[in-house]
Amino acid sequence: MSKQESFLYVLISGIILILILAGFIEQGFLDTLRGLVALQAHPARLIHDFTALEGAGAALVNSGLVSALALTLVKLAKVRLAGPTIAAILTIMGFSLFGKTLLNVGPIIFGVYLSAKVGRKPFAAYLLIALFGTALGPLVTYLVFQAGLTGLSSVLVGILGGTVTGFFLPSIAISMLHLHQGYNLYNIGFSCGFFGLFAASILAAAKMKIDIQVMWNQEPSLTLITLIPLTSVICIGSGILLGKKKAFTDFLAIQKIPGRLPSDFVDQVSAEGTLVNMGLLGLLGSGYVFIVGGDFNGPVLGGLFTLMGFGAFGKHLKNCWPIVTGVTLSCFVFGKNLAAPGPILAALFGTTLAPLAGQFGVFIGIAAGFVHLVMVERTAAWHGGLDLYNNGFSGGLTATLFVAILEWLKTTKESRKEGTQ
Amino acid sequence: MKEYILHLIGEMAKFVLDSNPSRMVISLHQEEDGLHLAILDNVPRSEEELEKIRVALNAPKRPELSEYYGIMAGQDLLGNSRLNLVGWQVKHAEVFRTQEGTKIDLWFGGERFDSSFFSIPKK
Repeated sequence: MSKQESFLYVLISGIILILILAGFIEQGFLDTLRGLVALQAHPARLIHDFTALEGAGAALVNSGLVSALALTLVKLAKVRLAGPTIAAILTIMGFSLFGKTLLNVGPIIFGVYLSAKVGRKPFAAYLLIALFGTALGPLVTYLVFQAGLTGLSSVLVGILGGTVTGFFLPSIAISMLHLHQGYNLYNIGFSCGFFGLFAASILAAAKMKIDIQVMWNQEPSLTLITLIPLTSVICIGSGILLGKKKAFTDFLAIQKIPGRLPSDFVDQVSAEGTLVNMGLLGLLGSGYVFIVGGDFNGPVLGGLFTLMGFGAFGKHLKNCWPIVTGVTLSCFVFGKNLAAPGPILAALFGTTLAPLAGQFGVFIGIAAGFVHLVMVERTAAWHGGLDLYNNGFSGGLTATLFVAILEWLKTTKESRKEGTQ
Repeated sequence: MKEYILHLIGEMAKFVLDSNPSRMVISLHQEEDGLHLAILDNVPRSEEELEKIRVALNAPKRPELSEYYGIMAGQDLLGNSRLNLVGWQVKHAEVFRTQEGTKIDLWFGGERFDSSFFSIPKK
């Protein structure tokens, strides 16, 4: 392991430790443990804010523990801790504040592991699919606790459902890449949404209730409000510590990369520049939430952690701002409140479309953000909130639309230029 | 295997065609444990450009990226060509300047594959 990778391990472990300690301090040891246990059985589908259900402390400790599991898997699979794995761990960190639990991620990861074994591939080859695939964790929770089953049968059905889901995810995820050609950063979100359509349809056919509910913490504590700015400052400080002035020149170099999947900024530029990029994205994202008057609760922190995580794997200031502008513009045109759950999450998670802006320019980025907002407000109902990465699902649809049109325009323009039509 | 080869050839062809050559030759040679691709064009490139190609094609092995995202190699029309998608899957790569342009030699294969045992000459 290189010195740089060791540094990243220390940094990510440190952030995980901060989450766990902050959680226990926030809520008290025993109450946090009680809340943590209770969270495992709560509905996890969109949008169940864990900070509202069992307190910020329990949610933070849950986040820390699930992230620690993800970091351990990266180490065990002998995969480099770099752009994609940092993105996966920080995404898991965020979503464990509103949907992922230690209980519901296990069967999905095991299913992906089985898929790798059947395909005679090392688990490392499917590690990213296993980590991001935990977006369908709520399906496991639903089958175990909300499907109306009892006793051992509910546990077995839940585990089996999650394992089967994980088993099929690699094949779906690989196919879905062809549709948007890497212009939707949350490809597994797109894949999970697609799979979720079928899962939700089966559950609905079996007369199971699978409607969308919104549990939203409107009074976040000071710990939650300060968490992302603190983590961002730590990232920027670590980048400067690691690279000094080079951290800023490398940060500027990152802004020139379109960001299309797979763009590992740690590999393509440097860890120090990447850390500065992550930190600035976190600070500016927090600034946006603050300006629009949003709540720094579980889902919003999830969006900010994901924004920061993908600051190592495709997102930067230059390719993100057009998307956020597009979402904001869409809110103004359609009279939506920027601080409402849908719009604020769309602004943060909608940056999944950042590569469109990075590759094709500001106008396409703004247009993509504009379309994304109206799409994402409909798609959650389609999969019953089973896919936590609903913005990834919507983003995949939006990116596919834009890629189809842009590809047609490109070939038509070339044909006309060559005079073949 | 056929699809795998088509992905690789597609991405390499896209890379060469992005430079608008008037000539491009792609040669394939298959053996039991691996295959050799040779790509020739008549595009003059600077030493810096050649070094960039070498770096991209001799990228460190990234199993988590090559198996999952590698499938995108040679599959699309939009955006720039991405040699790193091929580089993660290459066993060994060499890039030379020729009289007319550039020659890229790529060797692919399983764990047992060793390009030095390959039966065709490297140059």
